[in-house]
Amino acid sequence: MEEKKLDSIEKKLDNTEKGKRSGRLISGLKAVLVDSTWPVKLSLVVMGLGQIVRKQVIKGLLYMGALAAFVIYMINNGIEDIKGFYTLGTVEGDPWLGTVGDDSVMMMLRGILAFVIIGIFLMLYKSNINDIMEIEKRLSEGKKLPGFVKACRNFMDRKFYKAALTPPIIGVMVFNVLPIIFMIFIAFTNYGGDIKPPKLIDWNGLGNFRTILTIGKLKDTFFKIFRWNVVWAVLSTLINYFGGLFLALLLNKKCVKGKTFFRVFPIMAYALPGFITLLAFKFMFSYGGPINYYITLNGASPVGFLDIDAGIKARIIGLFVNAWISIPSSMLLATGILSNMNTDLYEAASIDGATKWKQFTKITLPFVIFSTTPVLITTFIGNFNNFGIFYFLRGHIICDGYFLASDTDLLINWLYNLSIDNEYYGIGAALSLIIFIIISIVSLSVYVRSAAFKKEDTFR
Amino acid sequence: MKLRRFSRIAVVALAFGTVLAAGGCGKKDDAKPGENGETITLRILENDTAKEKGYLDELLKAFNEAYKDKGIQAVDANMEEYSNLAENGPYGYGPDVLYQANDKIMTYAEDKHIMAIDVEKLDCYKTTPKEAFEAFNIVHDGKTYTCGVPVNVQEPMLFYREDNLPSDWKEKWDDNKNDVPDFFENWNDLYAYSKQLRDSDDSPNRDKKFGFMSSFNNLYLNAEFLFSYGGYVFGTDKDGSYNSKDIGFGKGDSAKGISGLIQFATLMNEGCIDDTITTGRYEKIANGTFFAAVSTPDTYALFVEKLALKYEDEGLSKDEALKKAQDNIKMIELPGLMPKDGDLTKNADDMSDSDFVKTVVMGGVNGYGISSYTKHRDACIEFVNFATSYDMISKRTQMLGIAPTRSDVASENGGVADKIFTSLKEGRIMLMPSIKAVDQIWSPVQTLMGDLAKDAFRKDGEKKYTDIASIQTALDKASQNVYDAIYTLAG
Repeated sequence: MEEKKLDSIEKKLDNTEKGKRSGRLISGLKAVLVDSTWPVKLSLVVMGLGQIVRKQVIKGLLYMGALAAFVIYMINNGIEDIKGFYTLGTVEGDPWLGTVGDDSVMMMLRGILAFVIIGIFLMLYKSNINDIMEIEKRLSEGKKLPGFVKACRNFMDRKFYKAALTPPIIGVMVFNVLPIIFMIFIAFTNYGGDIKPPKLIDWNGLGNFRTILTIGKLKDTFFKIFRWNVVWAVLSTLINYFGGLFLALLLNKKCVKGKTFFRVFPIMAYALPGFITLLAFKFMFSYGGPINYYITLNGASPVGFLDIDAGIKARIIGLFVNAWISIPSSMLLATGILSNMNTDLYEAASIDGATKWKQFTKITLPFVIFSTTPVLITTFIGNFNNFGIFYFLRGHIICDGYFLASDTDLLINWLYNLSIDNEYYGIGAALSLIIFIIISIVSLSVYVRSAAFKKEDTFR
Repeated sequence: MKLRRFSRIAVVALAFGTVLAAGGCGKKDDAKPGENGETITLRILENDTAKEKGYLDELLKAFNEAYKDKGIQAVDANMEEYSNLAENGPYGYGPDVLYQANDKIMTYAEDKHIMAIDVEKLDCYKTTPKEAFEAFNIVHDGKTYTCGVPVNVQEPMLFYREDNLPSDWKEKWDDNKNDVPDFFENWNDLYAYSKQLRDSDDSPNRDKKFGFMSSFNNLYLNAEFLFSYGGYVFGTDKDGSYNSKDIGFGKGDSAKGISGLIQFATLMNEGCIDDTITTGRYEKIANGTFFAAVSTPDTYALFVEKLALKYEDEGLSKDEALKKAQDNIKMIELPGLMPKDGDLTKNADDMSDSDFVKTVVMGGVNGYGISSYTKHRDACIEFVNFATSYDMISKRTQMLGIAPTRSDVASENGGVADKIFTSLKEGRIMLMPSIKAVDQIWSPVQTLMGDLAKDAFRKDGEKKYTDIASIQTALDKASQNVYDAIYTLAG
């Protein structure tokens, strides 16, 4: 009964909040469109016009310049680019005849750019309205309006974070977000296989996702690889993490002599470029490599560590090689964290009779895990998408029951086989989107449940 | 008051200016550069060997000298050997003329990135066999076009040290007394001699004496075990174009050929399953561990280099070592006869001509193609005509040791070049299909070939390919895998 009451109160509050929000929007629109002064209305029609009327000439001209640039862009390119984004081209080129057709990929990129420019313009338009409203407010209060230079100085002073963060945000938008958006859109096209420029690409909705998740061979391969991928990511993350922690604890022991000397070896393994290490391991485990040389030296038959029958052997070698490459970085991280440990805690625990294991599980581990949860998540993501290990150790093997993949390939290797080796870009993009969704769900759900997130301010 | 009026005028002017500017920016500059009599520059993409050995410089120098009065000059495109024309060409970054293997050029031609050429007008047309031109043929809308001009043929070759021939080969291994060892003429004798070498290996691990060696996971180098028996990559339609739905790795008696491959693997080591033999063959031929190994003609210099290093270690000067190695390393075609039933263990002396089939290897034709995106088509044709002329192909043959497709140069140079040319004419080289789908054959078939070779090393109870039927099933499955790779995602 009590719970029902609480629920209904919560719903009412929620509705009131929603009502307040929509009420604010309506009253805001009314204030701008109906109750506003004529300079505001001018700025509504032509950006910056109201500002100029109120003698804020430079600011007004800048807004007007932005409007002019936007109108010019839309007339010259923008409208065509948006149309092109929907059609992805209508005229196919013929290089033999020298006819230049539509380039679907460029049209998609230009379309995305057009939407981004429209977004930026709308933000500018909003800031134009806010600005003229602020001007009118100040004038109604009898306050003096600041000059352009002073206004800029005030802005830099009061909203320094905006000025400082704008360049990096633009950089991230151009170099990170735009390619991601492009990749996401590619996932919904038939780009790849025989359909590549100069041929026209077309939107195919969820076709690529349906192909991956419904066509027998692909579906089976996807789920087989996915299962192994999860096992691989979990195992390799645990091995690397605890391997690094173990080494760090070992080298942190007072009884270990020549710590610096011993620390050099893992660092050397870490410093060597990963693919060189991988090629070296591939050679070591090949039929002509030193491991088989010593095996045959004793009269035994050589072992196919990485060939088509290798199966579990190749998976274990992959875990081992990955540990070889990754444990040093975990060790360095753990060494740094352990140096910040409060040794009084151990002393107190010893006095209370805690065993060494108890001290490890109750003091060391929670402290290290608390500090390294974000790193642990990024390590998990890195391992989930660990392309190099099986590409270099066991590339170009196709196993029975797999479509263009081997039994050691991870989703990222399969993605490479499909999208780069075989040029099925649409399928590859859809697969990478699936990987992205899986990783996002796993990492976010782990992170929000972790102590590092929940007790950020309490555990120090 | 004046200021307010000025502001209003300025605003109206700006608003009009905005509209006028917006309306006036629609026109684009359609003028084309390079059409006013200035010198035309062609970008030429050659292979790395031609660059390293100075042939490209010679070619460019000769062409620029010959065409200096015609306003055409050629320069090194200065791009990566396998730079992607499909990605770069449409945006104006690709080469104008490129030298590549037929399968690569024709992959581009399928999407019309390479232009069709009227080859009959070229000087080399009459002296080049039609088989070589056919490697560059493509059918579009029912009409056949030629998109490349052949320069040289490539096929797998056998490399060996002449001083490693048995001293008594003329008595024991030359039954037909034609001064060619029998083990270089038929595969049964090559098997028999390899077995003899293996049996005589008394080193503790029996790893010092091997006969013929090859990494069997390499389809290009070992396709004779399929093609000699009726297997093929893709069939052809009535109009001569490749049909990528007709995949023929299991066709004819190719299963019998593969049984021979497994037999030969028993005389090798596990290195034949992966690329161990491929990577170690130069060293092993030089130190005498391998009697013979299969490789491509462009690796000849590597065999010589390794042997020269050995001679240098033995005390010869650099020049003496190089000369001695060049004299000693021999490159010949693979034995020309394979057993009809695939059984290499049979004694060749007891076999008649009808018990053999002709060896058919996989090969390729390298040549010139012209980018469809070039602005100087006629100048490019001039360049290709010049580069495939008698003088330039002769120079290329001398400098790079190629097997030319021009009959006049091949016969003049004689030796291996002429033999390869003859093999191409007589159909003993099956050219790599010139269609994009060929990209999908390598991984599935090479995985299978490695697995077939591994069977020689599996214990009796674990062997997968114990009879022709099981091999046939595996080959058919590989063909199906190739089909799936091509068509499952084709939409």
